[in-house]
Amino acid sequence: MKVILLASATLCAIACALSGSVAAQSALRRLPDGHPDLQGLWMKSAGGFQGLFIGSLDGTNFAAGGRGGRGDGRGAGRGPAVAQPAYEYTPEAEAERKDRLRRGYEDPEARCHLPGVPRALDQPGGLYPVQIIQDEKSVALLHEAMHDVRIIPTDNSPHPKNYWAWDGDSRGRWEGDTLVVDVSNFNGRTWLDMAANFVDENEHVVERFTLLDADTILYEATVTDPTVFVKPVQMRFTLKRVPAEQQILEYSCLEGERSLQHYTEEDGGKKRREK
Amino acid sequence: MKATIVAGLLAMVTAAGAAQTVNRPSSPGRLWDGKTPDFRGIWRARGTAFTNVEGHPAERGIAPSKSIVVDPPDGKIPYRPEALAQREMNYRARATLDPSLKCFQAGVPRATYLPTPLQILQSPGNFAIVYQENHAFRVFQPEGRPHFDNADWWMGDTRYRWEGDTLVADVAALTDQVWLDAAGNFHSTDVHVVERYRMTSLDTLEYEARIEDPAVYLRPWTLRVVLDRVKQPGARILEDECLEDANGVRRHVSPNDPRSLLKSDYSRWKTPSQK
Repeated sequence: MKVILLASATLCAIACALSGSVAAQSALRRLPDGHPDLQGLWMKSAGGFQGLFIGSLDGTNFAAGGRGGRGDGRGAGRGPAVAQPAYEYTPEAEAERKDRLRRGYEDPEARCHLPGVPRALDQPGGLYPVQIIQDEKSVALLHEAMHDVRIIPTDNSPHPKNYWAWDGDSRGRWEGDTLVVDVSNFNGRTWLDMAANFVDENEHVVERFTLLDADTILYEATVTDPTVFVKPVQMRFTLKRVPAEQQILEYSCLEGERSLQHYTEEDGGKKRREK
Repeated sequence: MKATIVAGLLAMVTAAGAAQTVNRPSSPGRLWDGKTPDFRGIWRARGTAFTNVEGHPAERGIAPSKSIVVDPPDGKIPYRPEALAQREMNYRARATLDPSLKCFQAGVPRATYLPTPLQILQSPGNFAIVYQENHAFRVFQPEGRPHFDNADWWMGDTRYRWEGDTLVADVAALTDQVWLDAAGNFHSTDVHVVERYRMTSLDTLEYEARIEDPAVYLRPWTLRVVLDRVKQPGARILEDECLEDANGVRRHVSPNDPRSLLKSDYSRWKTPSQK
């Protein structure tokens, strides 16, 4: 009897929580499998983790108020739904980042590499949309920026072995109405932004996609990397639905961007001028 | 006796299954709306037409191929004389001029019959193809709105409609910087491609492209290839980057082999565990 009472109390706890959430979310469009329909064309709201980096080749971020302003997230256009991440580096990693800041041109994305996660979505706000196509087996993110593609299975399958990619390997599952994506298997070369915040191959990301209303997705990411950060980095922003009359365009990243390195002292610029 | 009956039953079941397949060879499954043909899956073109759509003998480990040009019946692209001369020049210089050596996105229809697979993503009202090669993708837009003017894209601008169980896609706004194969067959920016995708069995997808370009060809012509479903469990589209390394050599970077990462990528950082 006691057991039954306990069981029903537990049931109530679950059911009551569920009914509350159902009441708030019942208006959401759903797929036949009952999960929220995340499909459509979405655009990151202005702002983001790092304002669009306007800088000089010595690493000054003018958008963040000039020298010394980089990497602290005080960029342009911060929106209310944006959580500016705090990057707490290990001393060793902090030194590494300072070194990388002097070589901003080594940003892998400037060399047409894939952005990695969460940078795939954390592109300059209001510029590059992402198309989401979803079925009962997967959620696919087709990013205009860098024509990056992530096809995320939602079948609880494990990460593979012997696979290391810029975008890692993504495996999704539904927790209630939230799509939770576990991302691992990174190749360790990714920068999180243009300001040299970086991760290595121990990076592990948990992303959460929650449909707040018909036209808004809340995106949250927790980045852990025990060899780089002393505590997880938390990030958050919203994606807004792009009007139906607009469509995703083609993006191409071609060799020209590489020449950036030839214009700086550190990497041969001086030698070149002397010739 | 019992064993015989079971075996007999099995044989009947198998025979019935086979008969069903033969009777309805071209009927695909349906999406959850009950009507849209279901083309989802990973597909790979049969044959080696990527070397030369007009057919080629065996060379350097690549099996020979018949022409995939089905119209005109002689299997030759009906070039204008001056365009044929251009193709011959392209062919002679193919080892250095083939745009795919520069890591450009492959174009349409070439992306379809590359040796690497593609994945069709679909839901009612949505259709996209992700090509493994160079993480190119195309989001097919429903017909009704006109093509982009004055765009020249690697993968073109695609509008589609269903004709029964055949998907018919109209592709324009293609660049002239791509080839149709590795043998120098080419088109201009005026090219207009009509693609037809049709399932001929549950595991075969027939692809047809009618290519019209009055500046280059005497008349429209058509190529056709068959794509086979990739059925290995766990098969995925892998991350593929084609990039230029520090020596100016462009190559594909395999996510299964971290040593294939470009040396020019940021690699000074060694995680504490590696030290």
